[in-house]
This record gives sequence, structure tokens and C-alpha cells, in this order.
Amino acid sequence: MRVRRFRLSAATILAALGLAACGSAGGGFAGLEGAGSTLVAPLLNVWQPEYARSGGVTVSYDPIGSGGGIEQITARTVDFGASDAPMTPAQARACGACVEIPWALAATDVAYHVGGVPNRLRFSGPVLAAIWTGAITRWNAPALERLNPGVHLPPTRIVPIHRTDGSGDTFAFSDYLSKVSPSFATAIGHATTVNWPGGIGAAGNAGVGGALAGTNGSIAYIAIAYVLANHFDYGLIENAAGRFPVPGLPSISAAAAALTAVPHSGRGGISLTDPPATAPGAYPISTFTYVIVPRASRRGRVIVRFIDWAVTRGQRSGPALDFAPLPRRIVAADRAAAAAIR
Amino acid sequence: MPDTELHPLGRFAPPPGMRRRRWLDRGFTAGATAAALLAVAVLALVIASVLINGAPALSWRFLTHNPHTSAFGVNTGGIANAIVGSAILIALASGMAVPAGILVGVFSTQFAGSRTARSIRFALDVLNGVPTIVTGVFVFGVLVIGGRQSGWAGAVALAIVELPIVGRSAEEVLTLVPERLREAGLALGLRRWRIIVSIILPTAVGGLLTGAVLAVARVAGETAPLIFTTSFAGPGLSVNPGGSLANLPVTIFDLSESPSPTSHAQAWAAALVLILGVLILSLIARVLHDRSVAALRR
Amino acid sequence: MDPSTVPAPDRLRLTGRFGDRVAEPALRAGSAAAAAGVVLLLLWIAATVVNQSGAAVGQFGLGFLLHQRWDPVHGIYGALDDILGTLVSSLIALALATPLAIAISVYLTELAPPSVRRPVAILVELLAAIPSVILGLWGILVLGPFLADDLEPLLRSAFGWLPIFGSSPSPFGVLNAALILTIMTVPIVTTVTREMCAATPPELKDAAYALGATRAEMVTMVVLPGARRGILAGAILGLGRALGEAIAVTQVIGNADQFRVSLFAPGGTLAGQIAAQYQSANPGLGQSAVMYLALILLASSVIVNGAARLIVARAARRSGSA
Repeated sequence: MRVRRFRLSAATILAALGLAACGSAGGGFAGLEGAGSTLVAPLLNVWQPEYARSGGVTVSYDPIGSGGGIEQITARTVDFGASDAPMTPAQARACGACVEIPWALAATDVAYHVGGVPNRLRFSGPVLAAIWTGAITRWNAPALERLNPGVHLPPTRIVPIHRTDGSGDTFAFSDYLSKVSPSFATAIGHATTVNWPGGIGAAGNAGVGGALAGTNGSIAYIAIAYVLANHFDYGLIENAAGRFPVPGLPSISAAAAALTAVPHSGRGGISLTDPPATAPGAYPISTFTYVIVPRASRRGRVIVRFIDWAVTRGQRSGPALDFAPLPRRIVAADRAAAAAIR
Repeated sequence: MPDTELHPLGRFAPPPGMRRRRWLDRGFTAGATAAALLAVAVLALVIASVLINGAPALSWRFLTHNPHTSAFGVNTGGIANAIVGSAILIALASGMAVPAGILVGVFSTQFAGSRTARSIRFALDVLNGVPTIVTGVFVFGVLVIGGRQSGWAGAVALAIVELPIVGRSAEEVLTLVPERLREAGLALGLRRWRIIVSIILPTAVGGLLTGAVLAVARVAGETAPLIFTTSFAGPGLSVNPGGSLANLPVTIFDLSESPSPTSHAQAWAAALVLILGVLILSLIARVLHDRSVAALRR
Repeated sequence: MDPSTVPAPDRLRLTGRFGDRVAEPALRAGSAAAAAGVVLLLLWIAATVVNQSGAAVGQFGLGFLLHQRWDPVHGIYGALDDILGTLVSSLIALALATPLAIAISVYLTELAPPSVRRPVAILVELLAAIPSVILGLWGILVLGPFLADDLEPLLRSAFGWLPIFGSSPSPFGVLNAALILTIMTVPIVTTVTREMCAATPPELKDAAYALGATRAEMVTMVVLPGARRGILAGAILGLGRALGEAIAVTQVIGNADQFRVSLFAPGGTLAGQIAAQYQSANPGLGQSAVMYLALILLASSVIVNGAARLIVARAARRSGSA
């Protein structure tokens, strides 16, 4: 046997250990890091290069879901969290001194994947509640046939798909269903994660889209931007006025315009779901999406500049992605709230 | 191995029921062979799927460009940042786990009594059995909460996965070093540390390397320790472990969940890159292992 | 050994007292610290998980294990669905993987021609090297559609009266997860089983043949009984692997909050639920409840792996002393 000389000196070992020991030393990152809502992710994907071009810092964003956004900003592992759901009082307490600022306006719709069913099937809030609670299980259920006279519906089993991550889409959807179905409100309620009684779960709008594309008979609630980008068949949902508005900029803006009062921005949420019958063109599951930041942080100034840009210049990129521009009074309230960040 | 056909009893004095027994034997042989074939077929099927689906999307551009992400997360660029990030994570993790693991092996084979050695071996086995998702959650709780996701946090999580693999294999290979070499050292009047550093470790270097390569092959594909520790990476190339580093497993995970066929094609292509790396490493480890064990047993 | 290859004294340089005085204790202390570090790391992991699950443990106690609802809206959490999902998917994987692994081991030790033996053994080992995220990808895009379009309709038309095949076919579900886990566990069980089969004393085998046993009889009467403990240990190790797999499972199982009897239906596992929920669980109780899942998972995998290692160690000692 040949014994090769191999000097494993104590110095090598010590050097390696030293390398291991400095594992906690963090490096600086000049840009902003954010995480949260997948609904707003397409807009952020467009904002990132635009903001950099207009002289702003690099913004990196991880779409882990709104609940994750709230949790990450609470743990201060990111510079900003993004959520389509306002923080609950408990979450707001946990987050400490945090402000939430509505910075985009969008909507959630139901998309489906059923062989032999045309696009733009009609749904009503109670029917959707019945589907997600398992009370309606077949595509040719009488309630669906009544809403869609003349459409041939197959007896395929309905597979409702929901989000597993804490999600603003889940919040908006369950908020809407709770308003239109008292039994849904008591049995399930509304939050970023709720106890769905069945169906398939998937993470993120992309994951839900993946599950939808892969499962015949499935139906899912997805941010409309993803619905249109992936060419999914989507439903028309009956609003309080008894109409079935096409989800899109006009109907979302109509829902925002129906807001009677703008709560003090930076605190508490503004629910846009199930707008009153006085707004006949309003889409029923519209939602603001919020950026959540600490009232005071090391990166305060950088964050303020980004938010200020996002609610003004940034809004111009929205319509191409089915984000409606923020109403002017919201923008004014936002800028006031942002100005208070240190 | 005696064949039943040639078996003396089988040929000259067929006992009652021999025909049935022979058929049973044939069925048994066929079943076992089929099982082995099935396992190999599944491996072939998975690798073929990755090859067939991944090859079309694999290009020089895909390997050397950073992601260029459209609004809906569909990447029209490449995965260069994930390849570089994975390499950095693995290097950092191995830089911590390999020396530490070898030291554990040295202690339990050279210094510890047999009872202590057995306890250490048990601890390594238990650590090896800790689900990697728990490792990820642990590192998130210790290093990320209140701080940031970072390449360092991801590397520490991977190092925890590597440590028991390196430690166990170091221990196994160090016990194979012939006692007579150590005695020869003692006869020369060498102290224990000198024997370890100059005789035992150099003799076992092949085996130690095997453990390290095996550990690297294992963690190269680990996703669970990384999703909470280094998954927030931006689209650009980053080599700074102080911030989040893009990496192949998380990239594949994200792409696999997407509805877009383009993303699926890229998931396959990224999987092809990863699987090639892992399989080559595994084969290298295998060859190193056989060679070093053969050398030590000679 | 050729004595000329032993390092010559002059090449080793008998270092002076200084080296001995510093290096000897340094190496001893350094390596002891590393070994102690392994134990401390284990304790640290356990302490962190116990600590962070404290709120949920205090709130729900052991009832958590038997409670079926996961309801963040009402602050009610229970692990039973995930425990059942974990058990069912892992045990199916084990039930499929163990006989396969035994058959492969027998093939490799008793049947295969020597030239085939090594390549096949290596290929089976490579199966263990495929990253789980890639198996998950394969599960989503290849296995899932096959299950939903072909296998599950077939099973359902033949055995639809059995509740486990009773729901409509779905690409995402417990069956998909169980099959992916089977692929992961086969090589693990095989490695241990094969070693034990190969350790059968040749005299015993010859004795069986001399008594007129066929190969099948020799294997079932001599090799397998001797490898019994190894097979058990291998199966338990495989179980440990299957219990703890998070990524591939969450990719294919459908992540439902409820456990269903039908294998086609979506479900969830402890590890998968942690992966899916941890980043976004409600601060406080919600997060603590996810950590409670991690605690259950950690405890069961420590028990399972510990048991397997003890069995292996005892089997090795027995065969060594025999």
C-alpha cells in the first residue's frame, strides 16, 4: 500500500473552522427586499426594472403569499411585506408599529377547467359558497343549470382548489362569500387561511393555476391577472345589482368608486367586496392590495421613496396587467401615510 | 451456485412434488428478476423524462443568462444565478461540514472509548434522520427570524444535513485503517496526533473524500432546508452569501408549480442540470469508495 | 504490505516537544468539541422546536394529536388529518417498497449473474440520489396525468366498491404521493436488506442445497429468516425517510386539510403541511401549531431512526459473534 503524503495541518482545520464560525456575519444589501402577496407579484415584476430605470434602488420580491408577507415583515426579515388582506388586530399588534398602505387595486375571479364547458359561465355568490363547502358537487347541478340556461353542463365532479399559503385572494374570496352566504360566514369565516372542507390545495396563484391546469373538473379562485395571462376559462359573478360584470378595469374601478368613505390610510383595511346595488357595473370580488412597512426602520427613507413612486408613476404600469389605477383620494391618503415613515 | 437441473437429487431421484417445486422456483426467480428490472425501469423512466423534456429547453443561453422574468413569472432568460448560487451554497456548507465531520470521525475512532464511540455514532444516525424540513425550520428560527434570509443561513442548513453523512463515513473508513500502521507509528516513537495527521488521515483520504462527495451529492438536490432560509433571491446574479442566493432546487420547485408550459420546460431543463450533477457526483463517490476500500483492505 | 511504502522516519520528522505539547491536546480537544457539537446540535434543534411549539402545546395538549380541524379563523388547530395522511402515504409506500426491496436483494445476492450484479446494484443506489424536488416534478407532470387518466379509472372500475378507490380520479392525491415515496424508499430498504442477505453464511446455504432444497426454498428457509432483522430495520429506515419527506409530497399530494379514506383524494402530511404553512401561519398560536407539527415529526423520526439503528446494531453484533 502506498501511503501518500497529505498534510492536513492543524492550520487547515482551524481555517476551515474559522470559516464556519463567521457563518453569522451578514453582508449588506443595497436594495429593498420584500415578500408576500402573489396577486401583486406581476405588478412588482414590472415595477422592478422600471423603478431601477427611473433611478430607484433594486427591489427584490418573493411571492410567498399575503400571510407570509405579514409574517415576514412581523419578523423583520424583509424591508416590506405585501398583502391583499389587511392585518387582523392580532397581526397588527404582533407587527408592532407597522403601517399598511393600499398600493394597487385588483380582483380575484374563479377560473375553471372542465372539458365541454364554455368560457364565461355564470355563477352567483351563494352558488360559489356551496361549491367550496361541498354542497354542490357536480357541474350539472340544478343551481348551475338555472344560472346558465341553454348551456350543456356535464356531470363531471367539481374539484374546488384553494390556496394553502396565507393568501390575500383567499381573504378577498372568503370575505365575499361570508358577505353573501351567512352559513359560509359562520361555518368558515374569512381570513388569509381558512379551513376549507375539501378539494385540492396549492401554493400561490401560480401553484393554483398549475393544479387547475392539471385537474379536469376543477375550479379555483385566482387573481384575474393570472386568469387572463394563462387563458383560463373564467366565470362571471353576479353582483348585488343582479348583473354579471366582466372582470376588468372598468368593473374594478366601478367597485372602488362605490366606496363611500376612505378610512384613514395606514391603518385598517378597506373592503371592496360585494359592492352595493347602487353600483350596477361593479365587480363583486375587487380588492386593494397593501404594502406593510414598519413605521420606523433603518431603510425608512428608501422605502418611502419607493412607495411614493409606486402609488403615482407605478400606477401607469397597472392597466396592462389588469390592475386598476388607485382612486385619487386613496393616493393622497397613501402619500400622507408614507410621509410619516421614518 | 448449483442449478436445480443439475442437482443430484433432482436428476436421479425426483422426490414427490418436484415438478410443483420446480415451477415455484422458476416463478420465484422470475419474480425477483422482475422486481430488479422494475427498479431499474423506474430509474430509467424518471431520467428519460428529465432528458426528453429537459433537453429541448437546455441551451447555452439558458445556462449562462440570468432569469429575465415577465410579469407573470415566466422566465425568458436562464438559470445562471441559480447554478452559481447552488455552487456557493454547497461550497460554504461543505467548508463547514466536511472538516467538522472528519473531526467527529477522528474523535470517535482515535480518542473515544467504545461506548462513547457508539453514542456518537447513534447521535450521527439520529441527526441524519432529522427531517430536512425540520432542519430548515430550525435554521429559520435561529438565524433568519429578526435577521434576513441569507446564503449563510441556507449553507448552515445544508451543513447540518451534510454533517452526519460525512461523520459516519469518516468513522467507517477510519476504522478500516489497519491497526499495524498505527503500531508502526508508535514503534517509531510518534505521538498520537502525529500518527493521525501523518499516517491515518493520509491513508484514509480516499474514503474521506468519498464521504464528502456523497454528502455534496445529497445536499445539491435538497430543497426543504432552503425554502425558508434562502428563497427570496432576486433575478440578478448574486455571489454575496450575506443576502439570499438563488439556487437550483428552489428554482425547480417554483417552476414545477407553475401553470405555464414554458415554465415546465424550464423546470425540466433545470432538473436535467441538477440530475446530471448529482448522478455524476454519486458515480464518482461510488468509484472512490470502491477504490479506497479495496486499497485499505489489501 | 510492502515495507518500503511505510513512511520512513526521516520523512516523518520527529517533531519536537512543542508540536506535541500543542498539537496533541489541540487535536484531541478539537475533535472532541466536534463530536460534542453533534450532540449539542441535536439538543439545540429539539429545544428550538419544543420552545417554539410551547404555546400550542400548552393550549391544546395531547388532544392536538386527535383533533381533526385546522382552522386559523377560529384559532382551532389539530394534527389528526396530517398524522393520518402521513401514516397512510408512508405505510403504502412501505408496503410496496419492502417486498420489492426483498426481491431485488434476493436477485442481487442469489440470482444475478456476477457481471450484472454490480451495475444493477449501482443503478438501484442511484435511484436514491435523484433529488426529491425532481421526483416531485415528475410526479406532477408525468405520474399525475397517468394516474388521473389511466390507472385510477382502471382501479375504480375494477375495485370501485372499495372505499379506498372510491372517489373520482385526480392527478394530485395520496396515491401519487405514496408512489413517489415508494420510489424514494426502495433503495433505502434495499441497501440494508441486501447487506443482510449477503451476510448469510455460505455453509448454511450449502447445507440447504445438500438437503435438496430448490433455490427458492433455500432463500425462503435460510436467507430471508437470517435477514429478518435487517429487513425490519431497512423497512423502518425507509419509513423514517417517507415520514420526513416534505417537498415531493407537497408537490403531488394536493395539500387538502382533510384526510379522506380514498387514495385518489388529495390529502396532507405533517412534513408537507409544515412546508406549505410555515411561512404564512398566523403569528403566535398559528405558528406555534405548525411548530407542534414539527415536534411530532421530529419525535417520530427520532424514534423510528433510533429503533432502526438499534436493530441494525444488534443484528450486526449477533452475526459478528455467530
